[in-house]
Amino acid sequence: MNKSIIATVTAATGLVVAVIVAFLGCSSKEQGVVIYVSEDQVFSEPILRDFERDTGIRVMAVYDTEEAKSTGVMNRLLAEKNNPQADVYWANEPIRAEVLKQQGIAAAYRSPSAEGIPAYFKDPQGYWTGFSARARVLIVNQTVPDKPKSITSYSDPASKDRIVIANPLFGTTTTQIAALFMLWGDEKAKAFLADMKRNNVKIATSNGESADFVAAGQFAFALVDSDDAANRMKQGKPVELIYPDQGDNELGCFIVPNAVVLINGSRHPEAARKLVDYLLSRETERKLSLSDAAQIPLHEGVDSPATVRKIETIKTMKTDYAAVARKMQEIEPLLKQWVGY
Amino acid sequence: MRTRRIILTAVTLVLAVVGLAPIVVMFARSLIVDGGLSLECYRKLLTTERSWQLLGNSLGLALLTALLSTLVGLPLGLLLGKTDLPFRRVFIILFALPLVIPPYITAVSWANVLGPRGFAAGLWGEPAAQVMARLLFGLPGCVMVLVSTFMPAVLLATLSFMRTVNPRLEEAARLSARPGRVLWGITIPLIRPGILLIATLVFLLALGEFGVPTFLRYNVFAVESFAQFSAFYNFGAAAAAAVPLALLTFVVLGIEWFVLREKTQALRPTPESGGTVVVELGRHRGWLFGLVSVLCALMVVAPLLSLLVQAGSPGAYLRALHAVRDSLLRSLLLAAIGATGLTVLGFFVGYLIHTRALQIWRAVDAGTVLLFALPSTVIGVGLIALWNRPSTNFIYATPLMILLGYLAQYTALTSRVTVAGLALVPASMEEAAASAGAGWTRRIGLIVLPLAKQALLSGWLIAYIFCLRDTGITMLVYPPGYDTLPVRIFTLMANGAPDLIGAACVLMIATTVLPLVGIALVVRSQGRRAWQ
Repeated sequence: MNKSIIATVTAATGLVVAVIVAFLGCSSKEQGVVIYVSEDQVFSEPILRDFERDTGIRVMAVYDTEEAKSTGVMNRLLAEKNNPQADVYWANEPIRAEVLKQQGIAAAYRSPSAEGIPAYFKDPQGYWTGFSARARVLIVNQTVPDKPKSITSYSDPASKDRIVIANPLFGTTTTQIAALFMLWGDEKAKAFLADMKRNNVKIATSNGESADFVAAGQFAFALVDSDDAANRMKQGKPVELIYPDQGDNELGCFIVPNAVVLINGSRHPEAARKLVDYLLSRETERKLSLSDAAQIPLHEGVDSPATVRKIETIKTMKTDYAAVARKMQEIEPLLKQWVGY
Repeated sequence: MRTRRIILTAVTLVLAVVGLAPIVVMFARSLIVDGGLSLECYRKLLTTERSWQLLGNSLGLALLTALLSTLVGLPLGLLLGKTDLPFRRVFIILFALPLVIPPYITAVSWANVLGPRGFAAGLWGEPAAQVMARLLFGLPGCVMVLVSTFMPAVLLATLSFMRTVNPRLEEAARLSARPGRVLWGITIPLIRPGILLIATLVFLLALGEFGVPTFLRYNVFAVESFAQFSAFYNFGAAAAAAVPLALLTFVVLGIEWFVLREKTQALRPTPESGGTVVVELGRHRGWLFGLVSVLCALMVVAPLLSLLVQAGSPGAYLRALHAVRDSLLRSLLLAAIGATGLTVLGFFVGYLIHTRALQIWRAVDAGTVLLFALPSTVIGVGLIALWNRPSTNFIYATPLMILLGYLAQYTALTSRVTVAGLALVPASMEEAAASAGAGWTRRIGLIVLPLAKQALLSGWLIAYIFCLRDTGITMLVYPPGYDTLPVRIFTLMANGAPDLIGAACVLMIATTVLPLVGIALVVRSQGRRAWQ
């Protein structure tokens, strides 16, 4: 009895130790490249699998979740500043990349694949490079008689009780509000927020929820990412997608590119650079435009479906993403107050 | 005696390093603002209106969940355990299912039924669907999902505690009273401490629950703590947001300790107990059967069926299997290793609590329960703060972090089961062996472990379920390329194909349930062989 118990315990302990050692051995020291990803897994993973297939380099990824407001992995990068685990960060907007630059977490790298991408979608010092963008568009219910053409429709008294916007404390909505503060100045931007509040704007938890509200006819229109609008149209919902402020003297449409960052102190720098080059390639942009992400290629002349507008045909809002990143931190208390956080 | 002291002290130290150190680090971080000592995080917490609203939301959700789980679970337990209702075993298995399913998957399945694009919308039209969606995404929806998740715990506890009631008492009462009066006057009062204990546990579990309120967009402190770290990168505020939960947990534990502990310890099978007096339902059998069937269909079958419908064709399962295969295997492996580690640690902690061998046994017991009740995100963030440094990278960069998280949060489960198991082992047996000269390790190996093996197996199974369904800790600490199935389902939910998500959820449920069914069949056949 005693022997059998000792044998069982020894065998079980041995098994556990063997498995743990196997785990230990094959994680951090394994040859490959580590990437943290804020872009939706469903869109980013196929690209990373293709990279593995094409280069033979294994990719180990950490993906973000909607619940973490897509900032979970960026905050993990901040927490790991003195002990970096990641080699590359795939941000779903350049502001997060800019924050990493400001915190000394990004390393400069000018990828040859970035040639042809307009300069204002790239960091001048090469700490991040934009690719495959989303546009901030208006999703409008088809039953609405007077379709809005500008984001300023949010402040129009005629829009009272008919408008919804994603929580401006998170994601691309924060970025756009911060960009408006830069463009308009604090006073006009604050007045815009106050007007929205007066119009009883509904605050949704995400752009996806805003799009659902409009698709269900609960609200007339919402400011969302182009993939959210394209997705609802694909589902056959009675909605339209409008690129706002396209007139001669108007703001232009706010563009949110993905951004790729090489991490300072990367453990696998060579593989990391290869991955950055791959993500910035025209082929990756083509794949992302053809996928359900329906993202806009930033290289000119990349094949894309008819539903995805070419970047050169959109009047874009000229944005200094570095300045927007700084502004975002500055207006956070104001936005918290506005939301009632 | 010396060996016993050394081993139990070592176990206590392990628990302190694995579980309490991350919490201490988190608390310390909450006291440092801009490099100096400050109570700013707590000042903000106490002075903002939002904090009080969150406290109200957290308390309301936990209280309603505990109350409704008890109000449904207790009568259902009595009905299924004490009457001649048809198909009782089938009902017990069906009602117990949500307990082993990750709660957020239950929430997803309910969103399939009542959400804006759910079956109800197709059935009753958009206006009715909007009303239902408004109810689902808020307090009523959270309560409904958490009640369907935790009610089975009350039901199973009722079934278990009923076996501790001496049937002679009920038989005697039956001589002069109707069955209902016997239940009300004898059975329920006898098992009341146990039911209150399990209701307390449900309250604590609902208080620390993060996945369901997040998915159903209901703000509570557990969600706030996660958002403060993940969305605002504010360690201090994340820790401060967890403090009200920790205080509430202490209060509830105090009540449990002083009011219920002694009474629940009396709830043990006696030589007379074990049999049970069956109440014949007579003419009430039909409508009660109908009522239980409807309840079962609404609480269990409808949401599960919705996942099957969402998954649709067998092709979706093949695609899901292909997409989540590695995560699935990792989940199984980590859950098995975690459960084994928890069983070992829980055994020694449970032994310490049962024998009161060290003076700090009470602190150890309270510590494990506190860790169990704390939001998993707080433990996860604490683990990052503690282990994320170059010198400990050999731990931080590996799945050991996930295992440490499991040990930190779930030791209370296995230690409590061990305590319950050891209570059934007569102390005289170990004493006799000691008198005969057997050392402590020998007594543990030859007497205590074999006699408590049923409890250890139960503890392992419970730990396996909790490790397998964990999202809060794993999501924060999993190393690159080592996601588990629940985490993968979470990340796939952002724009993932609904059929793929449905199929992945069904695979998750099967992964949890099938090993349990297998083990149950083995245990049953062994029991039958032993009886023969």
